[in-house]
Amino acid sequence: MSHKDSIRDGLLLLTVLIGLATVVGLSRWLDSHRPPVDAKLEEEQLYLNGATARRISLGFNGLAADWYWMRSLQYVGRKIIGVPENVQIDSLGQLNLKLLAPLIDTATTLDPQFMEPYQYAAVVLPDIDLQQAIRITKKGIAANPSAWRLYQHLGYIYWQQKDFQAAGEAYDQGGKLPGAPAWMEAMKAKMAAEGGTRELAREIYERMYEQAGDNQVKEMARRRLLQLESLDQRDGLGRVLSAYRSKGGRCPSSWREIGPVLRALRLKLDSAGAPLDPSGTAYVLVSDNCDVALDPKSEVPVR
Amino acid sequence: MPVDVAQAMKISKSSETTRHSMPRRILSIARNTFREAVRDRVLYNLVLFVLLLTAAAIFVGELSGSQERKIIVDLGLSAMLLFGVFIAIFVGVGLVYKEIERRTVYAIFSKPVGRGEFLIGKYLGLCLTLLVNVLVMGTGVSLALIYVSRGWDPLALSIWPAILLIFVELMILTGVALLFSSFSTPALSALLTFFVFIIGHFSADLKSFANSMGSGVARWLFAALYYLLPNLANLSFITPAAHGQLPAPSQVAVVILYSLVYIVIVLAATTMIFSRRNFK
Repeated sequence: MSHKDSIRDGLLLLTVLIGLATVVGLSRWLDSHRPPVDAKLEEEQLYLNGATARRISLGFNGLAADWYWMRSLQYVGRKIIGVPENVQIDSLGQLNLKLLAPLIDTATTLDPQFMEPYQYAAVVLPDIDLQQAIRITKKGIAANPSAWRLYQHLGYIYWQQKDFQAAGEAYDQGGKLPGAPAWMEAMKAKMAAEGGTRELAREIYERMYEQAGDNQVKEMARRRLLQLESLDQRDGLGRVLSAYRSKGGRCPSSWREIGPVLRALRLKLDSAGAPLDPSGTAYVLVSDNCDVALDPKSEVPVR
Repeated sequence: MPVDVAQAMKISKSSETTRHSMPRRILSIARNTFREAVRDRVLYNLVLFVLLLTAAAIFVGELSGSQERKIIVDLGLSAMLLFGVFIAIFVGVGLVYKEIERRTVYAIFSKPVGRGEFLIGKYLGLCLTLLVNVLVMGTGVSLALIYVSRGWDPLALSIWPAILLIFVELMILTGVALLFSSFSTPALSALLTFFVFIIGHFSADLKSFANSMGSGVARWLFAALYYLLPNLANLSFITPAAHGQLPAPSQVAVVILYSLVYIVIVLAATTMIFSRRNFK
């Protein structure tokens, strides 16, 4: 290679590098000066319904379903990030997630055997659009009549709505399918006898935790179990505080005052003698009304 | 020395010694077509495929809500089909055209090589290229599944019937590309073959159109199209494979038989058209 060729190549390489640097700089400028996305446009309805998307997917319907599924997760994720407080995925009604039902519906129409979106629909959708949650779950049952887990999801939706009879029937139907665990059938009787109790809620969330494939759903079930345990603890603590006030005519000024009783209740205490909630955060003593409350930093959901 | 002149000389030599050995002449053309594809860097698409799978295996887990196994199968097999379709179309339409353009076809046909033998050899050569492509990609998908599962995954084995069906679909498309290229320009042949790929996946719609048409002629036309065009939807098993489902052996056998018969028809038609072409 001659000296002239070397200079030419060097200049070309320099041009490429300067060009790349300029492109990066210009892109960053454009990104920072881009007007905010119109909220109406962001919530625009999907162009394609599930049936059309399936028809034009040319045999790539599974991949298209994956795409819609990931879009559903990103859609919810983006909205959750914008919320300052730590919300549970089964209480997202206030986030205006009106595209979630069409996204999940499209994903499940493209691939009716894709089970995770059904579970997501059963857990997340009822607080946003109950009818769509039931419709999508029933659609899943029609496409997968032998999948007992879909009956579990349907039962869960009805149980949340306190429709214990419909919930019991859904569990019962699912429990009769081959491969279904014995507890599914037993749920019918439990729904009738103890539909609104914490014991049943605990069992439902324990089953959900065991079977959930999606980490978000698993995490939601785990935190609901923490909440149930905390509710029991707070009931016990409330009784202790009431008894103390009845006896002494005033509320304890600190947890240390009732330390022996707390130890007798076998509650875990921190170094300051405060009882710990199931996530390991100390409960707050509300002296004004002689009550116990969760610390805002606690992992246990408030509602 | 250009590859095809070497091919012609080799065929000539082998033809003289084994004048009646048609399979050997076909195999010789197929081997050279495969070598040519390798030298044309057709298999470089494997590098892109590996990068795609590696990225999917690493990043998809975070985006998919613990569905990385399903997505790796969907993504891997869909990419396998898509890359294969592009190779079948763009290499397939050039198989014959390049020989005519470079005038190497004269050297080949001056020897005792039949036009049908030439076409079948070319066809098998590209099928061999696609087979290597599909085998390497299939192994890549299986390894990616084992990686994301942190150990043995039954899906790594159960996806192979779907991979076989993808290969059969690519064989049909290669035949169709060869058919169009025997009488048309490469650009038009590529376009027409791509249309066949699209319509082949809409076969069910063609049938329902045929059934719902009021006019008898329209009904007949759509029914004819339904049977004339390859029903590629029969070969689509990617989505069930991602759920670990296996196709029924009888279904696979009948689909493969259907495809082989279709390929024979397409190659026979191609030979018929190509035999009538005048190269003078």
